[in-house]
Amino acid sequence: MADPRRLLIVDDNEDILSTFYEFFNSMGYEVKTAVDGFAALKLLKDKANFFDCLITDLVMPNISGVGLISIVKKEFPHLKIIAMTGFGDQPGALASEANADVVLFKPIDLFDIEHTVSDLINPKNDNP
Amino acid sequence: MSTPLIGVSKSILKIKELISHVANTCLNVLITGETGVGKEVVAQSLYAESVRSSKNFVKINCAALPETLLESELYGFEKGAFTGAHKKRQGKFQTADKGVLFLDEIGDMPLSLQSKMLHVLQSGEFSPLGSDQDYKTDVWVIAATNHNLEDSMAKKMFREDLFYRLNIIKIDIPPLRERKEDIPSLIEYYIRLYRSEYPENHGSKPEPDILEKLCQYTWPGNVRQLQNCIKKQMVLNSWEKILDDLPREHPDLSPQIQINGQSRESYSLENHEFANNRPSIISEFVDLSTSSEKLFEDISLKKIKKMASDRVEKEVIGFVLDKVGWNRSRAAKILKISYKTLLYKMSEFEVSPPVK
Ligand SMILES: Nc1ncnc2c1ncn2[C@@H]1O[C@H](COP(=O)(O)OP(=O)(O)OP(=O)(O)O)[C@@H](O)[C@H]1O
Ligand SMILES: [Mg+2]
Repeated sequence: MADPRRLLIVDDNEDILSTFYEFFNSMGYEVKTAVDGFAALKLLKDKANFFDCLITDLVMPNISGVGLISIVKKEFPHLKIIAMTGFGDQPGALASEANADVVLFKPIDLFDIEHTVSDLINPKNDNP
Repeated sequence: MSTPLIGVSKSILKIKELISHVANTCLNVLITGETGVGKEVVAQSLYAESVRSSKNFVKINCAALPETLLESELYGFEKGAFTGAHKKRQGKFQTADKGVLFLDEIGDMPLSLQSKMLHVLQSGEFSPLGSDQDYKTDVWVIAATNHNLEDSMAKKMFREDLFYRLNIIKIDIPPLRERKEDIPSLIEYYIRLYRSEYPENHGSKPEPDILEKLCQYTWPGNVRQLQNCIKKQMVLNSWEKILDDLPREHPDLSPQIQINGQSRESYSLENHEFANNRPSIISEFVDLSTSSEKLFEDISLKKIKKMASDRVEKEVIGFVLDKVGWNRSRAAKILKISYKTLLYKMSEFEVSPPVK
């Protein structure tokens, strides 16, 4: 594990953002954060191929999570995407339609989501 | 040529940047903001910057048409689909194929049409009225509203699933009073535009002290209101007069509308773009001092429209009759209505010659 895994976490709730940041940092990930889809898109365009996984909230101003997922799947198809939703199942369904790899419902257990991330980034790591 | 998005404020610059990032995604866009803030200008800019700019930009106003007409305008109809459908007609979804469909005032779309709209957005297919054939359509949907759709959803007047499907990209345009920095550049732009359109007009630019006052004004009608002032200036050439004529806020309104004691609600009503500068006229038709429940029950646009137009009609009829010495057939000709209609209206509005 010489190369740290790189995450982009997007949520318009600063508390969630900092909690996730602290947690993933302590687990050895390199983490960047963005407060909405537009800020995230600019980071991604700036550093294409830098990130391994995107974790995004769905309901956000300007570019929503669903919008971000659609754009990312087209422009950066290698990037794995986890969508988090707290607003019933409408946005969640739209996120699946936009081909998010995983859709999780809030509240989210941090250890669960870390498992999901590592499964997505290192598929079948343990059987060579 | 469509209007460029003028402005130097942070919010307008951010909107411009957002437009350039999403114009080629063809993701559904929802544009919100008060009346006159420039929702249509933003929709046009999105279109102009997209690869679809060589195709159609088709606009439909969901508030202006009655339900059945709106439906047939959107989806078209087959010959004989309903009485009066003598000829097959293409709907906007078809005209806008490969281009943009601008759904203006989407917040006013009747619930009954919202589910069909949702279906088309999901599947990209629709069928004209009276047809059992499905047509594919590839439209970029840009919707706009000055309603708060979250409120409409809470009141069950707007479908949640439709909201989330439209709200993929959300562009919220702040009212002009929250971005006063844009006022000078808007004035600059429109004065230049009107000078080039009507070189014979000589309205001058505002002096710094006037400009300061223009920037301090709250502009309830936003850019449209400012634009109208500039148009007036081209003819009157007197900013003093224009400033004098601007409708002022009514500080006496807030204590009148006490909505179940919730001051926040009354604040938002007071600041609402229409309520704001016309409380006096509304109060002529409904009693604003009653409780909110009673008030909202009394407010019916249809009813108020009828009351208002009756009042104006009555006044105009009386005015004309007076001018022609109560010669009814002459008055009917002048009013461009039939003699019978005039008599009917005179009795309905109780218009009668003054007793001598
Ligand atoms: N940023 C801007 N730059 C130049 N012109 C503007 C701008 N914003 C608005 N306008 C002008 O102001 C007028 C109103 O704008 P527009 O029709 O886009 O408003 P709207 O938000 O759609 O209003 P409504 O809710 O009443 O339909 C138009 O004539 C438009 O050209
Ligand atoms: Mg408009």
